[in-house]
Amino acid sequence: MAEPFLSVRGLSAGYGETLVLRDVDLDVDAGELVALIGANGAGKSTLLATLSGLVPPVSGSVRLAGRELAHARPETIVAAGLAHVPQGRRLFGGLTVERNLLLGAYLRRDGEIRADVERVVGYFPALRDKLARDAATLSGGEQQMVAIARGLMARPKVLMVDEPSLGLAPNVVDRVIDVCAEINRAGTAVLLVEQDVLVALEVARRAYVLETGRITLSGDAAELRADDRVRKAYLGI
Amino acid sequence: MSLLAQQLVLAVLLGGVYVAVAVGFSLVWGILNIINLSHGAFIVVGAYITWTLFGRFGIDPFLSLPLDALALFVIGYALQRGLINRVIRAPVFFTLLLTFGVNLAIVNLLLAVFTSDFRSVTPSYAGSGLTLGPVVVPYIRLAAFVIAFVVAGLLSLLLARTRVGAAIQAVASDRDAAQLVGIDLRHTYALTYGIGAACAGVAGGLLSTVQAISPTAGDPYTLQAFVIVVLGGLGSVTATVVGGLLFGFIEVFGQAAPGLGAGYANAIAFAVLVVVLVVRPQGLLGR
Repeated sequence: MAEPFLSVRGLSAGYGETLVLRDVDLDVDAGELVALIGANGAGKSTLLATLSGLVPPVSGSVRLAGRELAHARPETIVAAGLAHVPQGRRLFGGLTVERNLLLGAYLRRDGEIRADVERVVGYFPALRDKLARDAATLSGGEQQMVAIARGLMARPKVLMVDEPSLGLAPNVVDRVIDVCAEINRAGTAVLLVEQDVLVALEVARRAYVLETGRITLSGDAAELRADDRVRKAYLGI
Repeated sequence: MSLLAQQLVLAVLLGGVYVAVAVGFSLVWGILNIINLSHGAFIVVGAYITWTLFGRFGIDPFLSLPLDALALFVIGYALQRGLINRVIRAPVFFTLLLTFGVNLAIVNLLLAVFTSDFRSVTPSYAGSGLTLGPVVVPYIRLAAFVIAFVVAGLLSLLLARTRVGAAIQAVASDRDAAQLVGIDLRHTYALTYGIGAACAGVAGGLLSTVQAISPTAGDPYTLQAFVIVVLGGLGSVTATVVGGLLFGFIEVFGQAAPGLGAGYANAIAFAVLVVVLVVRPQGLLGR
């Protein structure tokens, strides 16, 4: 069997002396939508930060399309096709929405960047007449849309989205999750980190459960939804 | 009346020079959060480059400004990338200490090379000016004023219109998010510091034509730049321009007030600074 598109093996990482991630294995195939679920503090955001080069791994490997990226710099990882939409939106306040989007394409040198602004705004029509606004003045939902759109501007092969539903109204959550599925249908693999486990397991094909830094369960999303341990721990049933 | 008009013209022109002195300092402070105590030394290095080119090769001081900018950009980029970047995430006290040390090193290097003698650059047109009725506008100060605004304008355009400018602002806004879109932090920090140093170099070239220079002349410029940035407010070129012009007015008119004289210039400036800090601590145009 061919190597999965994004392949994480034995990844351990942390801050200082404290290991937050221990021996994590995780795969995302080309074009797949994979969910990563787990409680607060389980290490989900640290895992994404390690994959995108913000936190140096202690050991293990991260391969994207056969290329080792475990100790690469963040800009190398983005250029290789792994983009990260961080938790809490993290937009560039003081800059317009349009410049935030253009910064998403910072490493691209092709002539299609302007056209891509149109394309990503197509996912979020609400942003169309707000391109000239200071990104910091948008509502939480709109900021999340800009954050995802900015991630797409890199034309990633795998888009990692961290807690897009955090602090948003339910109808906005639906829209944001729907767009993650749309992006995936258009051919981009998505690794979705989500506290709303029900939502995540509905939209994903496969899922991983992270508990105190270790992957404790993984498999088909529908099967995990039926799993007693998942139901007890995350669905409150 | 004509005296007042003359004072006004001098105040505006002097303000222009102060804009040049402060604009690079403001960039480095606003973006990198470094209060660059070697800024004045960079200015003096620019002044000595202009002085050397003028004295040795007869190059007009205004023509040597691009060279000042280029040389100081290279020095600034290398210093930041090789040295200051090592403490960029440390508390602000460490960058203060380090840039203070860099300042000492540069000043002593200049003392060794150029001695402590005062130097000045006096091109043939140094004493002449434009006569408008009772008011005389010295050519050199007028040119310095115009160039200061060109520098401020270029910096503004760079930040607002270019890819590099977007990266610089992104890094200031959120350094993790900047890395996540692929911005190389070390390079962008060094670029920002280099651009700030280049502005100082141009300011030095300008100052060499209006004041005598010596290796130790830099510290007052650092101080003035600090006051100007606090006056105008951190975070935009426009705020620095306003701060610089205001500082020029304060200095010229403060000295002209009855009972006061040239000796009070700094005291007046700092009194205004204290008032601004009490009344509007974010500066006149600060966010």
